[in-house]
Amino acid sequence: MIQVENLTKRFGQHVAVDSINFTVDPGEILGFLGPNGAGKSTTMNILTGYISATDGKALINGIDILEQPEEAKKKIGYLPEFPPLYGDMTVTEYLDFVSDIKGIKAADKKKGMDRIMDLVKVSEVRGRLIRNLSKGYRQRVGLAQALMGNPEVLILDEPTVGLDPKQIIEMRNLIKELGKNHTIILSSHILPEVSAVCERVIIINRGRIVASDTPENLSKGLGDTSRLTLRIAAPEKQVLRVVNELQGIKSVVSQGSREPDTVDIVVEADNNVDIRRPLFHAFSRASYPILMMKSMGLTLEDIFLQVTTQENPVSDKEVQ
Amino acid sequence: MLAVIKKEFLTYFKSMTGYIFMACLLFFVGLFFVMNNLLSMSPEYNGVLSNITFVFMLVVPILTMRLMAEEARQKTDQLLLTSPISLTKIVLGKYLGAVSVLFLTLVITWIYPVILSTMGSVNWPEVIGGYIGFFLFGAALIAVGLFISSTTDNQVIAAVVTFTALLLLWFIDVIAQSLPTDRTSGMIFAGILIAAIAFIFYMAAKNLIVSAGILVVGLLGELAGYLLKPTFFDGLIGKVLNWFSLLSRYEDFSMGILNISPIIYYLSFSGVFLFLTVRMLEKKRWS
Repeated sequence: MIQVENLTKRFGQHVAVDSINFTVDPGEILGFLGPNGAGKSTTMNILTGYISATDGKALINGIDILEQPEEAKKKIGYLPEFPPLYGDMTVTEYLDFVSDIKGIKAADKKKGMDRIMDLVKVSEVRGRLIRNLSKGYRQRVGLAQALMGNPEVLILDEPTVGLDPKQIIEMRNLIKELGKNHTIILSSHILPEVSAVCERVIIINRGRIVASDTPENLSKGLGDTSRLTLRIAAPEKQVLRVVNELQGIKSVVSQGSREPDTVDIVVEADNNVDIRRPLFHAFSRASYPILMMKSMGLTLEDIFLQVTTQENPVSDKEVQ
Repeated sequence: MLAVIKKEFLTYFKSMTGYIFMACLLFFVGLFFVMNNLLSMSPEYNGVLSNITFVFMLVVPILTMRLMAEEARQKTDQLLLTSPISLTKIVLGKYLGAVSVLFLTLVITWIYPVILSTMGSVNWPEVIGGYIGFFLFGAALIAVGLFISSTTDNQVIAAVVTFTALLLLWFIDVIAQSLPTDRTSGMIFAGILIAAIAFIFYMAAKNLIVSAGILVVGLLGELAGYLLKPTFFDGLIGKVLNWFSLLSRYEDFSMGILNISPIIYYLSFSGVFLFLTVRMLEKKRWS
């Protein structure tokens, strides 16, 4: 559905997007993840034809956005980082204008507007001036704008920014719902959002793709050690001694005492070594009860920090 | 494109801008109507219009400063530029939106010649000709303002620069008269023009070889021109500045002569600035 080849954007000397490649399949929800200034918005602005790429190609359903911009733009709904709203229009006037410039037939206009306003829940403010609306409503009017004309591709730049927790959940559910019959690219620097909504994540940093996979695989692929948290009813020194005597332990760190007469430790094992049984037997032999044992998978936060602080891409395989 | 025209037109009347523009223009038309026609008991109406062309200098910036600058500042241009509508249509829509406010104002002023006709004989063809000229003159100035508005994202800067540019256009005949008309200064002027074109090209394309090529070819052309037809450089400065003299083209209209060449001049003047506006927006996407 979306094909990006060697896309590069330079602003003078600064390289904002550095020859990135990716594809998005029809019906997929792709998450674009990266710190601020990583090149997410620039990439989206190129995909939607707002700015031109210095080099490379972006195809929307096989149509080059640079060569046939009007054809390609018909297939895209775009919610930029700052929703492009006219404060002096009412919601209805605004959506009316949007459907006119998107070339929606007059016959379908009214129906489409009503449907979309219901979908994003702005019907109750339809007669109010946009400049008087709260941030949450503005964001939703912005989304309504992107949905006008029912485009096949939705590109949403940080759609949940400025929303309260309840609205964030509503917005996520709405995006998931829309994902059933739209292809969606969504950017965010908030990690739980991406793992909650997206089927695939591209992590982008300094204009380059540093990782691309499902949220689950990213956790798996990058977590090269298995970590366990344990709570043992025994003095700290003895606990550390017991653990250190075991084979296959990479490191052990004490977290201090959270419950009287116990100690919490984090044990990191070597690759592919399951140390849960040896740990149980060792503590059992020493008669130290294990009150808690749980594995700590790498969260998306860990992966994100790991890949965005590395100089080079994680591996060539990850960067398709 | 109709949607853009409609939106621009209505936006003028959602803020004070449209009302201020109309009020200002209508006030001066009314004032000069009273002075020129009523108090001096004259049925000659075109004098009113040519008297108030100067008011355009003040009110056109008000009308045009917002057009592109505000879209860029509010980032609403993202909506326009990512919609399936061409840049030309966006620019043309905005231009016609502003021009339609001018048109509406002029329609209201029709009441004055109608009042005159009840008291004396009005030369209608002359008045219609005068109105066509007045409208096209204003429309050309709006095109200049639209272009300047597209170069910045600050309305105040757009207004001040537009005002300066219009003022310069207004005084261009006076300036042209006081500049030297001899052959040498014409040659120097042509050289500066060629250098400026080469420099602008260099700034835009950052290509030293081609820019130097333009400079060399241009100067050789100038030399060839001097050898073949040296009279070409006599009074060249005045001739070039005269291309931009909107006011001298207005004289025919104010005398009630409807000539085709000033009409084409005004239309193409607007066309050039609309084209430049499209190029400017296009350039912003590439840089």
